[in-house]
Amino acid sequence: MPYREKTAWLSLVAMALAFVPYFAIVVAQSHSSPSSPSLRQLGLFAIAAVVQMAILGIGHLYLTHGSPAEARIPPDERDVAIMRRSISLAYYVLITGMILVGCVMPFNSGGWTIVNAALLMIVLAEVVHYGVVVVSYRRQL
Amino acid sequence: MKASITNRIRFLRFQNGEMSQAELGERIGVTRQTIAAIEAGKYSPSLEAAFRIANVFNVPLDEAFQWDAKDNSSKQT
Repeated sequence: MPYREKTAWLSLVAMALAFVPYFAIVVAQSHSSPSSPSLRQLGLFAIAAVVQMAILGIGHLYLTHGSPAEARIPPDERDVAIMRRSISLAYYVLITGMILVGCVMPFNSGGWTIVNAALLMIVLAEVVHYGVVVVSYRRQL
Repeated sequence: MKASITNRIRFLRFQNGEMSQAELGERIGVTRQTIAAIEAGKYSPSLEAAFRIANVFNVPLDEAFQWDAKDNSSKQT
């Protein structure tokens, strides 16, 4: 498995472990959570962000230590093509999500609902980004 | 969809002292996985990379890569 595919898998795993529990808690408490920002919600988000960064940091150290030569190699033309394709597709997901969050949701939602929806769109865009990278390497595209 | 560009890189590698994909990749500045993807017809290299590959084996470009004109004209109609 190429080093860049391994880092893409790491990013997907980190996001899943950090944000699946976060959104599960958010959905479970959606009926009782206040619409205005609260320290509790902020704390939940901070924990998710720290968990993601910790997994990424430790994971990258492990991967770099395991194959230091491969980690140092700059991206070749195919790596660049895969990056461009994945970022392009993720951009469309992100822009669609932000239009929904910014232009549609304010008419029927408010407070943390909009904030969490925006966060969900960012996470989805990142899932698409790294998912396309993984699929491209798996299928040798 | 059938690829209209094919190549004989695998054949040329074996003809040139059984060169490995990694070695060819190193010589033209790409990874082994990129060479594997090119040989499998799943990735089309840039023009420069294609010329570099042909140069490694000391053959003309159309000796390493072949383009099926009939396949391309059937797509246009």
